[in-house]
Amino acid sequence: MNSEKNISEETMAEVANSPLEKQAEEQSKVAEKLGMPGERKWPTKTEFSPEMLAEMEKILPSKLNRIVQTSLAGCVHCGLCSDACHYTASIPDDKTLLPAYKADRFRKWYKSRYDWLGKVFPSFVGAKPLSKELADEMYDKLWGGCTMCRRCTFNCPMGVDYGMLVRAARGIMCQVGRVPQNLQDTVDTHYNHGNNMAVPRDEFIETIEWIEEELQSEDGCENFKIPVDKHGAKYILTLNPREPKYYPLTIQASAKVLNAAGADFTISSRYWDLTNYAMFNGIDPDAKIFAQWLFDEMKRLDVEYLVAGECGHGYRGIRWEMANWVGGVPFKITSMMELMAQWVQEGRFKLDKSVHDGKCFTYHDSCNIARSGGVLEEPRIVIRAAVNNFVEMEHNREDSYCCGGGGGALAMPEFAPRRIAAGKIKADEIRATGANVVLQSCHNCTDQLKEICHHYKIDAKVMNLAELLSEALVL
Amino acid sequence: MEHKVSYALYVLQEPVQYICLAFMATMYAIKIYQLMKKPGPPEKAELKGDRFAGSMHSLANVLRPWGMESTRNDLFFYAEFMIFHIGVALTIGSTFLIPLAPQIMTPLVTQIIMVFMALAFLIGLRRIYRRLTKPEIRIISSPDDYFAVILMTVFFAVGFFAMWLWLEGRPETGYMWLFFLMTTFFLLYVPFSKISHYVLYPFGRVMYGQIFGGRGVLNRNAK
Repeated sequence: MNSEKNISEETMAEVANSPLEKQAEEQSKVAEKLGMPGERKWPTKTEFSPEMLAEMEKILPSKLNRIVQTSLAGCVHCGLCSDACHYTASIPDDKTLLPAYKADRFRKWYKSRYDWLGKVFPSFVGAKPLSKELADEMYDKLWGGCTMCRRCTFNCPMGVDYGMLVRAARGIMCQVGRVPQNLQDTVDTHYNHGNNMAVPRDEFIETIEWIEEELQSEDGCENFKIPVDKHGAKYILTLNPREPKYYPLTIQASAKVLNAAGADFTISSRYWDLTNYAMFNGIDPDAKIFAQWLFDEMKRLDVEYLVAGECGHGYRGIRWEMANWVGGVPFKITSMMELMAQWVQEGRFKLDKSVHDGKCFTYHDSCNIARSGGVLEEPRIVIRAAVNNFVEMEHNREDSYCCGGGGGALAMPEFAPRRIAAGKIKADEIRATGANVVLQSCHNCTDQLKEICHHYKIDAKVMNLAELLSEALVL
Repeated sequence: MEHKVSYALYVLQEPVQYICLAFMATMYAIKIYQLMKKPGPPEKAELKGDRFAGSMHSLANVLRPWGMESTRNDLFFYAEFMIFHIGVALTIGSTFLIPLAPQIMTPLVTQIIMVFMALAFLIGLRRIYRRLTKPEIRIISSPDDYFAVILMTVFFAVGFFAMWLWLEGRPETGYMWLFFLMTTFFLLYVPFSKISHYVLYPFGRVMYGQIFGGRGVLNRNAK
């Protein structure tokens, strides 16, 4: 990787022009091991042992930054968060899903160590030393009962940041091995292979080439390209691995929009995965590694803008967290949602709204894009430009309820029944709009919305914004 | 109206209060120092909004019931919250005014304080009832939560009667003694209790405002 950084653009051009070198480069693309050297398998555990609890005690202080400490010490148990959470709104009979209750599983332990009164009279302030029972409750409530969507944070008079608090607790549990297996497998796969679905580089390139052919077979798209590893492009598009694996049409739609806008873009053949499940398991060193790979690709290809594809936590990860993890970034970061809105406003597209006539659309704000990401109006600019019939859900923008699929919930099958149950409030809101198309900009939301639409018998299709816009393009 | 009190009550109202206040301030200083020692939230990404405007917006959140869905949908609860906390501020304020600036405690000022004390007392009773009866509140309540609200409610009642008798020209009564004994207890107890949440409030609100203001979610006009 380092030697590649030192190769000048001229040298790269020469390499590209030499048949022998080109062949060698093609072979190296296939042979290069992406991800970290060697294979890692995180030592996960199915039960908390006394040794793990002792280790958690040692880790706790390192997780207490100013926000986490304020959030642990600042709750006044007013209960105003009770209606803010999609779990409590959807499953009102289970009071243990109240955000303050869930956070208290961690807070009790914190108070037993740091609260002055809690050290002397623990039961008086609700403090409890860490025990297997308390740790089990933490596991159940903070992995399986919270998507870190921060809707409760927005409704807390004290500004308690439940997202940060829960992530800290998850990080502690994960460090001792108590983490949902499937979620950790996703992180390990990313760590070992450079993307979270272990898509090999040659397979990825073939997929992109195939998508390019499919794109070129569309009317008016004969000259459209999906450049791979193009040096000096303006934009580099990052993807969710679900796209090359299961949803190639979303890549095709994004590429169509980018071409139609006349954007100078590329896709890296090496590190193109914008997801970062280490945001969900709370392990910062892993989060930093995944962000660093994208950072290095930006430098290798000398691209101006890092573009997040339509992925909720992926957007937040690269737009807002990447700079903190890698210590600042010398390039610009944007997203497909923002670019599409900008280009719509600049009049770069000719759009025919009538292709979507007869359908009613609503939009689901991904928590990481809207509430934690600040992309609130851009999706609406795109939607209003592309359709005639758009109905907002009762709660929208930063007030939107989480669909239930955030925080890595889709990667925790052991909590699937609760996840589906927690999606009821969102399903009710979708139904109330009368929409038969639910738009969104996040792959976790896509899967959860599809599941809840099916489960709650809502006859609605789920699609992303690039798909919506690409269908309305007049080329 | 002259408000002469015995030397003993004077000691309770002044030197004892000063010592206890100094203790409280020391405890708060330690608390804030311990918090500030922790690393703050970094935000190295290019901002979409304004972190300072966001923090100011967030701090003023308490004055905007429409700012949060939780208060927007329950304006009665918000009104109770405001009156209760105004009652707290006025009651604590009166413990300074009575010994230090009794001339400010005119009948009108005293009556206004008494009105808020009475309302805060009633709201306190409602809060105790709410905490005891609402399952979602009961499940998160610790003895400290009950003790804090009961203590405040009793404090309002005692303060109300102390003021009543004060208005009648009786500055040294059992109620006044009890009022200042409770104040003394508060000054010693509050740094350890949930009642000290007001010390953390600005930190929580400012950090929240910095994060979400900087990301362009709050105070969108400041973008």
